[in-house]
Amino acid sequence: MKPVISIEQLSFTYAGSEHPAISEISVTVKPGEFIGITGPAGAGKSTLILCLNGIIPHFQHGEYRGRVRIDGVETLTMHCAEISRKVGSVFQDPEAQIVASTVEDEIAFGLENFGVEPDVIEARITDALQRIGIEGLRHRSTTELSGGQKQRVAIAAAVALRPEILVLDEPTSELDPLGTKEVFEVLKQLNREYGLTIIVVEQKINILLEYIERLWVMNGGRLVADEPPRRIVNQPELLTDVGLQIPPVSELMYRLKAAGYYSGELPLTVDEAYWALLKCRGGKR
Amino acid sequence: MIKVEQLTFAYPNGMPVLENLSFEIKSGEFVALIGQNGAGKTTLLKQFNGLLKPTGGTVRIDGIDTRNSTTGILAQKVGFLFQNPDHQIFLPTVAQEIGFGPANLGCSREEIDRRVREAAAQVGLEPYLNENPLFLSKGQRQRVAFASLLSMRPQVMVLDEPTTGQDYREGIEIMEMVKALHRQGHTVIFVTHDMELVARYAERVIVLSQGRILMDDTCRRVFYQPDVLRRTNLFPPQIPTLVQKFDCYQEDFGTPLSVEELYATITGCGGEEYVHCS
Repeated sequence: MKPVISIEQLSFTYAGSEHPAISEISVTVKPGEFIGITGPAGAGKSTLILCLNGIIPHFQHGEYRGRVRIDGVETLTMHCAEISRKVGSVFQDPEAQIVASTVEDEIAFGLENFGVEPDVIEARITDALQRIGIEGLRHRSTTELSGGQKQRVAIAAAVALRPEILVLDEPTSELDPLGTKEVFEVLKQLNREYGLTIIVVEQKINILLEYIERLWVMNGGRLVADEPPRRIVNQPELLTDVGLQIPPVSELMYRLKAAGYYSGELPLTVDEAYWALLKCRGGKR
Repeated sequence: MIKVEQLTFAYPNGMPVLENLSFEIKSGEFVALIGQNGAGKTTLLKQFNGLLKPTGGTVRIDGIDTRNSTTGILAQKVGFLFQNPDHQIFLPTVAQEIGFGPANLGCSREEIDRRVREAAAQVGLEPYLNENPLFLSKGQRQRVAFASLLSMRPQVMVLDEPTTGQDYREGIEIMEMVKALHRQGHTVIFVTHDMELVARYAERVIVLSQGRILMDDTCRRVFYQPDVLRRTNLFPPQIPTLVQKFDCYQEDFGTPLSVEELYATITGCGGEEYVHCS
């Protein structure tokens, strides 16, 4: 399958900075992948996201080297409007990106800007609300929504534009545990049912490993690991080397396995850990 | 140290955010305040240093009714670390920032210097005293904000989501600093959505839901009552959640909070008997 995103030898140094924020990143993404990005502060995660949605190099000054191609076309040669039709973006703070006073108007805003016909807009709004599962919020005022609801409205507004790729930069950092789960459930559904390619930056490693198929670990501007979650929990040093941790249930079974009490697959979730712990019985006699 | 009696609070022209809360926090406690977005956690924290005053009932800090006091007086008893350090940093050098509070108290030059050095040492900022805070990393700026509350030598420390926006290592570093101060006798109250952090540091947990107290108990008892927690959009940390999937967990595993505790229980019985009745 042809890659939907291909990044070649990408480096970027912000104007006025001495050190590159990202260095020599080369990686490709296939259509329909669900990718998580994690890493310590200053690793270059947000910079990489800005290179995917075209804000770098179109709006951010600095030294740009290498290439980002979306569907084979280099972002450097595309108009920003063109990129935004292919790549939808959702950021950390839903307050900062919601502009309209009702949910319906918020979702219509991007569509109107794209010059979509009014009767098509109607259908797109209904469709986006259904896809995200928030039909009930359609006529609500955006100011009275919870954090999790606001972030789902922001995702619906991005999805209404029918992007091929959705990039999200720490979309749950302001949310409580339930709001966080709601956002990831929506992403999973968009990925499974509609084949949307999703790339999400996230610090909450427990939930990230539960949902994604592929993890990029960044450190010091470089991509230092690119593995499926199952491999990550088998090699905790991929995370601990950069100051992060595997989930507690994975760590528990990793240690039990290392000590000879368990010999199966390492769990990614609490549910998997339950079955692993059952099998642990008589592991060492 | 803190005595809250029938506290009710409403923002002007709004519905009550806090309703009829009563509790006490004793000197030297380490308390986590948890609850869903909009539960009233930050509103409650702001009552402790007089940034907000009750519309009904009383809040007493070390015997002082906050309604008869000022934030200037209360800041010497209760230090407040905001979620975003950039909301409280405004001076051109780290030393000036840390010394701002004592200077406002009217301390002498020598006293200010002494307090600045002491607070900087507590958070490991001595090498940066002459730097501009804006050129420091986010984790370091959080330490600057932290040192500027320490220089007021407050007995109580109130921390509003101290690890949000920080990576795992920075978050743990901040909490370890707080833990060290707690060992020296400080009272700590912190708000967080990270239940793993609560399990690791808090002794007592107050669960807030829609402006009321849903639970107020030890960390262990709170996380072993998941039905109550779920009513305020929270889930226990992974280890208690895992253990509670087993029917006779108390008999088999006890009530562990951490990987270390559960690992010790399992390996302690030879890995043979611990799931027998599930």
